[in-house]
Amino acid sequence: MATVSLRNIKKTYSNGFKAIHNLNLEIEDGEMIVLVGPSGCGKSTSLRMVAGLEATSEGDLYIGDKRVNDLEPSERDIAMVFQNYALYPHMSVARNMGYGLKNQGLPRDEIRRKVEKAARVLEIEHLLDNKPKQLSGGQRQRVAMGRAIVRNPKVFLFDEPLSNLDAKLRVQMRIEIKRLQQEFATTAIYVTHDQVEAMTLADRLVVMNGGKVEQVGPPLDLYEKPETQFVAGFLGSPGMNFMPARIQGQALLVQGDHRIDLPDMAELAQWDGRDITFGVRPEHLEACSEAEADFHLKVDIIEPLGADTLLYGHLPGSDSLMIAEQPGKRRYTRGDVVPLRVDRERLHLFDAETEQRLNE
Amino acid sequence: MIENRPWLTAVRHLVLILGIIVIGLPIWIALVASTNTSASFVSGVMPMWFGEEGLNNFRRVLTNEGRVLGVGVSASWMMWNSFIMAMVIAIGKITISILSAFAIVYFRFPFRRTCFWMIFITLMLPVEVRILPTYEVVASLGMLNSYAGLTIPLIASATATFLFRQFFLSIPDSLAEAARIDGAGPMKFFKDILLPLSVNNIAALFVILFIYGWNQYLWPLLITTDENYYTIVMVIKRLMTAGEGNVPWNIIMTTTVLAMLPPVVVVLVMQKFFVRGLVEQEK
Ligand SMILES: Nc1ncnc2c1ncn2[C@@H]1O[C@H](COP(=O)(O)OP(=O)(O)OP(=O)(O)O)[C@@H](O)[C@H]1O
Ligand SMILES: [Mg+2]
Repeated sequence: MATVSLRNIKKTYSNGFKAIHNLNLEIEDGEMIVLVGPSGCGKSTSLRMVAGLEATSEGDLYIGDKRVNDLEPSERDIAMVFQNYALYPHMSVARNMGYGLKNQGLPRDEIRRKVEKAARVLEIEHLLDNKPKQLSGGQRQRVAMGRAIVRNPKVFLFDEPLSNLDAKLRVQMRIEIKRLQQEFATTAIYVTHDQVEAMTLADRLVVMNGGKVEQVGPPLDLYEKPETQFVAGFLGSPGMNFMPARIQGQALLVQGDHRIDLPDMAELAQWDGRDITFGVRPEHLEACSEAEADFHLKVDIIEPLGADTLLYGHLPGSDSLMIAEQPGKRRYTRGDVVPLRVDRERLHLFDAETEQRLNE
Repeated sequence: MIENRPWLTAVRHLVLILGIIVIGLPIWIALVASTNTSASFVSGVMPMWFGEEGLNNFRRVLTNEGRVLGVGVSASWMMWNSFIMAMVIAIGKITISILSAFAIVYFRFPFRRTCFWMIFITLMLPVEVRILPTYEVVASLGMLNSYAGLTIPLIASATATFLFRQFFLSIPDSLAEAARIDGAGPMKFFKDILLPLSVNNIAALFVILFIYGWNQYLWPLLITTDENYYTIVMVIKRLMTAGEGNVPWNIIMTTTVLAMLPPVVVVLVMQKFFVRGLVEQEK
């Protein structure tokens, strides 16, 4: 059990590419942190630096109160689960799981005992004598987890461990990982680009973009109050609608002519005349009567998902895409013009230049 | 391509049968000749069926009874020489190739690429091409007429490095990383993981290199003058020229059959690995 701190961590690859600009993160004991972001944003790089597979260019890395920058991966007391599982193909499941312990010089019967215990937790006891080749993807995943658990490490590191599984198994293993992590109360860092995985697993979510941290916090906080336009757009599916707008007195002029009167905000006066980006999530656009309507959505595509229906369309006189999520019970047809009202409590205003959040 | 036209099947079989005859006939002749007496050849026509002298021929050749081979050593001794030569070359080449491939793929050191290309260039310089300078070196090191002289110059080209390098590159990096996290240092990783994974490749290479070493002719001919270091392949050619006008075909073919045996045994024993090593890659 340990805390992990990354202090002013920077990473420049040998080809001069700056992968991580300045990473600061304090991870509490037993906490599950999920790093999420688009491809190439530096998630794996960050994780691999904690593992010791990649050297840090600058900054200090602590596991517990020990500075580990210069320690070998095996001396850091971590365990890692790889995307392709990285099981040793020629070793049986039991030997795969016990290899680390064997290298620590543990006696054979103790290794056997620990491996069997971990196998029991993961329900793979019957597979202990099989070779990885003889296992299904999900079983390999469990063995990889088992190899991490037997070591009883201070920190679990996961690099997109579920992305090679089919959708159903992924959900199952996601729950399993959460269960194990809570049961062992081990600090964990989990990398993914799947935002559902990120939202469901994380105690705290770290959204990264271009080698920088955009925002850190509990998943729902980030969902409800994204600090930047990037985070707002990245979390949530379907994504948030963004429209250029301008503040005029007490109201917002969206795309030139749609007027939305804003709730009272202390700062409104000083923002008067400012160009901003207005954001609203699809589920916060409600169908309403003509009189209350902020927008009229001309429906191009309808996606009935059962519980909800997604309406893809555009505002008359504009061609930018707008998505609205409506309760599934009402039927729509293509070409409908649906009057929509913005939920005033859930709208997001971002500075047009800096893309930082403006409203509370 | 699976087509089902009768005449095509016939042609296919014809080609196959022709091929088998072309390859099989010389072997047939050798086998038959090794069982006949030398008198059977006097007429100038090769006998096409087995004689009675088989056991006798093999005994005479293996023990060099009455100097049938025209040299002072027996065929069994020369086969032993050939065996040592083939084994040392095969094992030696595999050892240095796998180690150099390991260094090139898994370590970052200055001039890594240069090293790789220098090794690669040895592919273009087989013994036959560099035979004179190599002879010079071996002679001045005093290695003429020795096993070292027979083998070391042939080992000293890491032809198989390239093959191992390609194989190692196909092993995912994460395997090495997992081993590092599991506390395996470089040599442990090599021993516990790379080596077992390479078994099929090693076996396939062993077969190829064993036959390569066994079949060496020019090099042993050049550097051995002491009969104790003669190889079995060398002596076949000597036999052809030794008998004045009267070539002892039965003895030559008996020796030939003996010389063919070890490569055949190696191929048969290693067949399973051999095929797997050439076609299949462990995932
Ligand atoms: N060994 C390397 N040398 C140079 N640049 C590298 C190296 N490894 C990664 N990079 C670069 O660093 C950046 C971050 O890579 P990283 O693997 O951390 O991305 P990621 O966030 O994990 O992406 P993904 O979701 O695709 O796995 C990428 O732009 C990548 O091209
Ligand atoms: Mg990655």
